[in-house]
Amino acid sequence: MTPELMDAAGTSPLRKTLETTTMELNFGPQHPATHGVYRAILQLDGERVVAIESVLGYLHRGIEKWVEYRTYTKATPIFDRLDYVGAILNCHGYVGAVEKLMKIQVSKRAQYIRVVLDELQRIANHLLWLGTHALDLGAMTVLFYGLREREVIMDLFEAMVGQRLLQNAYPIGGVRLDFPRGWERACRNFMAELPNRLDEYETLLSSNRMWLQRTKGIGIIGGAEAVALGLSGPTLRGSGVYFDVRKCIPYGSYEDFDFEVPLGENGDVYDRYIVRVREMRQSLRILQQALDGMPEGPLMPEKLSKIIRPPAGEAYFSVEGAKGQLGYYLVSDGTDKPWKCHVRSPSFINLQGLEKMVVGGLVADVVANIGSLDIVLGEVDR
Amino acid sequence: MTFESLMTYVGWPLIKIVILLGVVAFCVAYTVYIERRLLGFFQSRVGPNRVGPFGLIQPIADGLKLILKEDIIPASAQPFLFRVAPIFAIVPAFVGFAIISFAPPLVTGAGVVHPFVVKDVNLGMLFLLSITSLGVFGIVLAGWSSGSKYPLFGSLRSASQMLSYEIPLTLSVLSVILMAGSFRLSDIVDAQSKLPFAIPLILAFGVYVISAVAETNRIPFDLPEGESELVGGFHTEYSGMRFAFYFLAEYANVVLVCCVATSLFLGGYKIPFLPYETLLAAHPVLVSALGLAVFGVKAVLFLYFYIWIRATFPRYRYDQLLRIGWMVLLPIALLNLFLVAGIKLWLLR
Repeated sequence: MTPELMDAAGTSPLRKTLETTTMELNFGPQHPATHGVYRAILQLDGERVVAIESVLGYLHRGIEKWVEYRTYTKATPIFDRLDYVGAILNCHGYVGAVEKLMKIQVSKRAQYIRVVLDELQRIANHLLWLGTHALDLGAMTVLFYGLREREVIMDLFEAMVGQRLLQNAYPIGGVRLDFPRGWERACRNFMAELPNRLDEYETLLSSNRMWLQRTKGIGIIGGAEAVALGLSGPTLRGSGVYFDVRKCIPYGSYEDFDFEVPLGENGDVYDRYIVRVREMRQSLRILQQALDGMPEGPLMPEKLSKIIRPPAGEAYFSVEGAKGQLGYYLVSDGTDKPWKCHVRSPSFINLQGLEKMVVGGLVADVVANIGSLDIVLGEVDR
Repeated sequence: MTFESLMTYVGWPLIKIVILLGVVAFCVAYTVYIERRLLGFFQSRVGPNRVGPFGLIQPIADGLKLILKEDIIPASAQPFLFRVAPIFAIVPAFVGFAIISFAPPLVTGAGVVHPFVVKDVNLGMLFLLSITSLGVFGIVLAGWSSGSKYPLFGSLRSASQMLSYEIPLTLSVLSVILMAGSFRLSDIVDAQSKLPFAIPLILAFGVYVISAVAETNRIPFDLPEGESELVGGFHTEYSGMRFAFYFLAEYANVVLVCCVATSLFLGGYKIPFLPYETLLAAHPVLVSALGLAVFGVKAVLFLYFYIWIRATFPRYRYDQLLRIGWMVLLPIALLNLFLVAGIKLWLLR
């Protein structure tokens, strides 16, 4: 069509009456697939997504401000409530930051115990993620299988620290108690069983054509873009970028262990999925090494005053959380309360990648992409 | 009009309809129960087991709960269409059962025959196909009249999905009709005395099973109500008994599809190579009872397969679903139809 004709068509009354517009669809905050109170406003052209706007804050609790009015010790449990399916990792990040601020040397045994619990928590998180992600795409059975295995991990946590979901696992300086009797055996039993179960999930998903069609080539984000947006964790590694805090900025004795960092190739939903599944297997390797090479030693440093009063200064400490790089920035003014606390929450930052992933795709892919990001709204809104 | 003719044309059909409606409603309610128990079994959990022994009263409890619920009509809905839409969904699902022969006719006395079917119409399959295709109106009207976006999406998807899959479904059924040489379901069943059609018409059977899953809106083709995308799909805004109507219609369709598949492909109430004539002469009641049991077992096995699918597969995407319908199933169904027609014309003359 010539430009003149197009212009004529654009200005004719017929053209005006037949004009089509995009449809605004409110996706959440009460929606089964948003994994919490996440809200997206989608602009749709038919089933195709033209634009997406994230609306956050429905779960904002002001945790970072709240912490400024609590002593360092009393602030510890609140961080479990950030990412409530990976609570131990949050706790590790916070106590690590305080330890860095106070220059406390955590004993080797305490570090190893932390590694064991951290990796169990990572597996538990990935299992729940796998189940909910599969459920989003309609495969409901995987959810229950994942929950079944996660339940064992919860039992292990309960036996170890007394709580299942929000454990408040680590005190500042080390760990409270040693493994209870029989715990190690139970843990090893679980570790022996999990690879078979993972194979089972992969039979249901990785080798399923429908699953591949729903995930391959969907929500592609390139490595450079992912880095530019600040993504981290499996979301970033799915795009093929080698960045794992455990390898790149080692903390808590992770340099002692031999494990691989699984990487994706295309940066699509499938790669983010397969990276997490492989990560579970790597976590098992770390667990094995940590349990085998568990050193003897004290759990807590001997000279640690009851009242934590770090010297004035600032510290940033990050761990490889279940969702990505989980950083804690603490500023101390020399009193027993933090002057300022900021959490670099991976869910919040990973969510920035969503727009890149979904625009141009279909509504159904929005669900697949939100699932593949593995966001927890407690951490997004803080 | 004499009393006898009145009974023949009005009385007996009415009695049969009432019995059939009761039985079907019962079966549908317990299909839900069976599905929930089986899903529990597949998913390493228990399923409903609290209400009554083994949770057997659960469907009744659920029904009672839904009856007592408030019937909410959204402010933005079109009240009339919103109210009648569930009727459009549920009526075709139940009417379809009218032509299905559940057992061999019972012969009592001198040539008095009681067929186990409401009306063995000579164009039975045509009737069934046309009446079940009306079910889409219930969904489209629900989506349109709800005045809400998710139902609208669900009904749009549903319309295109059901239209797309109606064609391969019909083509696969046509090949059965060609083989049997009749539209009447009892004739089709009789034609399978030696061999169920599922074996010679394996292609048509495959196409039928896949299209039937799509027609009944179940995983992996449950896009109209894809929970994780469209919340509840076309019935998002419905509550109480109107929602229950959709729920019942879906499961009635599932049961119907199982019954039709049994009749068309699995040999209906027949067991291959069973000497029916000698048995019939000796124990007419036994033959009917056996036939009913055989039909039931086949239908339940097919139902099990259905639920198994649901527990195993993820959901297809909208465009993928349509592509499968048009690019894969339709050519296969057409090819199969031509093959069957050719064989019928040249070899089985």
